[in-house]
Amino acid sequence: MKLTKSFNRSLWVFHLNTGSCNGCEIEIVATIAPRYDPERFGMRLVGSPKHADVLLVTGPVTKKMAQKVRRVYEQVPDPKLVMCIGTCGQSGGVFYDSYNLDGPIDQVLPVDVYVPGCPPRPEAIIFGVVKALEKLERLEAAQ
Amino acid sequence: MDPLSPVLTGYGVWNPLAWLVAFIAAAIVVYLLWNRGESSCRKGTEFGRPYLSGNAEPDKGAVHIRASNLYWGYLQALKTYYDAIVPVHTGVLTDYMVWFVAVTALLLVIIGGLP
Repeated sequence: MKLTKSFNRSLWVFHLNTGSCNGCEIEIVATIAPRYDPERFGMRLVGSPKHADVLLVTGPVTKKMAQKVRRVYEQVPDPKLVMCIGTCGQSGGVFYDSYNLDGPIDQVLPVDVYVPGCPPRPEAIIFGVVKALEKLERLEAAQ
Repeated sequence: MDPLSPVLTGYGVWNPLAWLVAFIAAAIVVYLLWNRGESSCRKGTEFGRPYLSGNAEPDKGAVHIRASNLYWGYLQALKTYYDAIVPVHTGVLTDYMVWFVAVTALLLVIIGGLP
């Protein structure tokens, strides 16, 4: 995975809901709102996976969504990161023993950063982004 | 005659050298655009297909907008007319001949003033 220079300046994020209750979505919206304003660092949500560097996944990955998740992941250009927001994506959360899950998300995609919480606070999501940047720096140093 | 010299046709100018220069300039622009493209793009995979909220891309035929769709409003506005006129167009030649003879007879009556 070769990192481009643009990766250092900004992370464009595509958000994908795989069956979340919308709690994480509300916190993601709170994160990108003016109070925290990550766009001043070049981080913003984009409308297409083809424009994204980071795939932000919420929800426990229902059976119907699993194929869609794989398809969207394929449509994100390399190099890319996957961030899992919320407990559902980590373990299934309250849906952990549901008949209708193909997840959690690491059963479907390789995950780089987990942000636990139900839902995680905006500070936790930003901390997760910092961890993602640290991982990118390690990758870049290894190149 | 010099093959690279301009040819005046009376309507314009044809210069092979100018066309060659234009073609090379266009080729350079195309190369530069191609060169700045996403090198990790994998043709024939999902990456090369359009993003449709994670759904599979339908066959082109299934999403093709037919030309008649463009005229939907026009056809809808004249629906009464078309409802009457379309069934008349049976495609049977003898039907058309009957119409032809009948309309001709009618015109002869109207224009010719036959008793």
